[in-house]
Amino acid sequence: MAKKQRGKASSSSKTADIEKPTKSFTLSLESSDDEAPEEVTFEDSKAEALRSMKQALDTARREKQLLKEKRRKRQELFQEQKKRKLLSADVLEEIDSAFSKKQKQSEDEGEQEEKPEKEGGDGKKKKKKKRSGKLANARNLKGKYTVTTVKERTLASFQQQVAEEFIQSRLYGPGTCRTTSELVASPYFIFCQVFYSMTRGDAFLQRFYHLVCCSLVLILSEQSFCVADVK
Amino acid sequence: MGEFKVHRVRFFDYIPSAIRTMAFNSQTERLAVARADGAVEIFNFNDNFFQEKVIPGQDGRAIEALCWVGHRLFSAGLNGEITEYDLENLRPQYTVDAYGGPIWTISSNSQGTQLAVGCEDGTVKIFAILEERIQFQRNLNRHKGRIISLCWHPSIKTEMELLVDRATGASKNKEVVVWSVGYLSDHTIISGDSAGKVQIWNGLTGTLVRTYLVTKWDVLVLSVSKDESSVIAGTSEGTVIQFQFISSTVDQHDKEWVRTRTFRNHSHDVSALAHTDTAVVSGGMDTQLVVRPLLDKVEKNTQESALRKIAFPHRSLVGCAKKAGLLLFQFPDRLELWKLGESEGHGKPGDRLPVKRKPEKLIELKRKGEDHICCSALSACGGWLAYSTVSNVRLYRIQYSNTISINKVSKLPKELRSVHQLCFSSDSSKLFASSCQSSVIVVAVSQQECRYLHTLKHKTGSRQPVHLLCASDDGKWLATANTDCEIHIYNLHKMKLHCMVPVYNSCPTTIAIHPVTNNLISVHADQQIFEFSLVQKEYTQWSRRLQTQGLLSLWLERDTPITHITFNPKNLDHIILHDTYMFCIIDQSLPFPELNAVLWNQMTLKSLPVSQRIGQSHAFKICKSFQHLMCVSLLEDLSLVVVERPLLDIMSQLPAPVRQKKFAT
Repeated sequence: MAKKQRGKASSSSKTADIEKPTKSFTLSLESSDDEAPEEVTFEDSKAEALRSMKQALDTARREKQLLKEKRRKRQELFQEQKKRKLLSADVLEEIDSAFSKKQKQSEDEGEQEEKPEKEGGDGKKKKKKKRSGKLANARNLKGKYTVTTVKERTLASFQQQVAEEFIQSRLYGPGTCRTTSELVASPYFIFCQVFYSMTRGDAFLQRFYHLVCCSLVLILSEQSFCVADVK
Repeated sequence: MGEFKVHRVRFFDYIPSAIRTMAFNSQTERLAVARADGAVEIFNFNDNFFQEKVIPGQDGRAIEALCWVGHRLFSAGLNGEITEYDLENLRPQYTVDAYGGPIWTISSNSQGTQLAVGCEDGTVKIFAILEERIQFQRNLNRHKGRIISLCWHPSIKTEMELLVDRATGASKNKEVVVWSVGYLSDHTIISGDSAGKVQIWNGLTGTLVRTYLVTKWDVLVLSVSKDESSVIAGTSEGTVIQFQFISSTVDQHDKEWVRTRTFRNHSHDVSALAHTDTAVVSGGMDTQLVVRPLLDKVEKNTQESALRKIAFPHRSLVGCAKKAGLLLFQFPDRLELWKLGESEGHGKPGDRLPVKRKPEKLIELKRKGEDHICCSALSACGGWLAYSTVSNVRLYRIQYSNTISINKVSKLPKELRSVHQLCFSSDSSKLFASSCQSSVIVVAVSQQECRYLHTLKHKTGSRQPVHLLCASDDGKWLATANTDCEIHIYNLHKMKLHCMVPVYNSCPTTIAIHPVTNNLISVHADQQIFEFSLVQKEYTQWSRRLQTQGLLSLWLERDTPITHITFNPKNLDHIILHDTYMFCIIDQSLPFPELNAVLWNQMTLKSLPVSQRIGQSHAFKICKSFQHLMCVSLLEDLSLVVVERPLLDIMSQLPAPVRQKKFAT
């Protein structure tokens, strides 16, 4: 009993603090003060200490090995992913060596595309030959190509479109209450136009009519208000 | 008087372009108006609001802002470029790319030395204004949103910009856009935004002084008057609201910004405003330019204080081939050639005759390239058609055999480049084209080729462009009028300048040479009429009598200019003129109306028996049955052609206005 207790006490102290075991234990795990101290042989405790030390070293080593494994596996995975991204080695070789072969291939494709534009193509073919003669480093592009420059204003026109859409959405987009133009030809609007055409150039008449109409509107609106009240 | 068979033409689908922005130059009293299609128009406010110059638009040039710097006009648009215009040659002088994306606003400082533009990418770029060009100076710090509005402080060289703001507690989940901003000398900032508010801020402390909720929709534009006592705001509803800096009590100490007047002159959004000293000028999606004089600045009940609406261009867009009965309609992007219909039978005045053959569209000619059509001409026989843009001139030969065929004349003389007006001679052998510095280029057109003949130049040294060209029927005289109010007469047989009509201080709106007497009739922007004899180089007796008697005030108070004059080959005393709301036949053999006579006396004359009419009738016979007139012309068979474009037809094709609750709708 006492031995077991001591063993426990010793192992707990070991795991907490990896030091060489000392003979003197100052732990007070005994249940009572009456009992006499137990007798433990030196060999026993030595063996115990060594065992636990070995255990600790073993676990540390195992952990290290596990980490190593993990790292290695991860490294392999990355390498595989990288390999997958790049073209295979033989394709790269082919590209490097057979540059001219590739050229011919693309020319053939180009010819197939440009078949319907034969007439224009002939003229351009001649032009291309002339050009390639002048420039030393130019590729010898045979075939019926049409070369067009990208329209200079592509980015600017795209931005302009975005800006116009912004205005359109703010003024005519959802949330703005807009009506149709047919409603504009309402009696009120027609009246406004007739009023203007009758009184053009005559300021006095304009003001007179304006006064009359304002008072009319006032009367009418008052009437409608009363009706609403009654309802 | 005369009975005419009238071809009433309503198939000219003319749609004006919406007004995007405007700028007023108080030094020269000119208003520059930019339209949605890129065209820029200059109105002369000193000369009865006459549309002096029109710079044609261009595809892709979406102008968002205009700015005057002295006599120079700059514009900036969504294509990212700043353009300076050459007002003498009616074309863009040069463009500078700001490299900031679409430009939303442009403004110059009060000294006229620097130009600031607000760009899509959030930067404000400053350009230095040099003699012949502008040069990039620096960028101001970049902001997150796009710069929509910009304003310089009037005196100090600091400036203020406002951009897309975030609204706090707004009901919609959209950001509030500050569409326009104004900066006053006392560091007050006024802003109009898309929440419908006009807000007044203290610029020094950055605090809000006052908020006015003026509309449910957007406040699109603001304009501050020169003396900074009045601010006007234009809304999507079509109203223009005025705020004035006045004191509520009698003593002048506690002045504050108070909302005063509301003007409802538009049916659609108001997107452009200008505050002159005496008037509020507004324009918007309904394409009309409205000038509203402020009644506290002008004398009441005079012509000065009347509302002015300018809805149609002040030049003729319709060409008529009198011998062939053809009409040419000029649109910014195309030309349409129509053959007039025929009817048979006779009737009483006011009857509608049955149409035997309907009018048909013979040719629709689309322009090539990006520039819009500036001017066009059709020869009297209908065999030649020409049009010009700012970059080139094109001439076409039309043949009317079994089928219509149109062939372009390929090699034109190189002198025909930037042409402002075109006119064929009456025998269709020559084409006259007005070019830079008011010179006229004469080219001979024939079946085989187009050959340069001569350049006619004048001696006054005026560099203003020619806006009217007119050739006489006998082929001897050519008259030109430029925007400096000069009218020059050239002798085509000798190919040199014959004389110059004495300069009248109002710009001529139309000129014409009488086929027999060779008298030049000119009508001016202030509605005055003159007749000048080309042979004798002096005003005729009739003209002197008219000036002595004076025109009736009702004639002078008309607010649209006369855009076309034509003559009656059967009755040589008749002059047929028209403006947008009426056409008038002036009979030179009849006496002028007395000052207290009724100008529009046609109805009274009709009610009188024939014998009594002579006592009452006067020289001006006005007919108002047709509106709104784009052209009135007399064909060789003495039938009248009246091209009408009712305003309601234009209105019904405009984009949607805001939905408003109106009484009885």
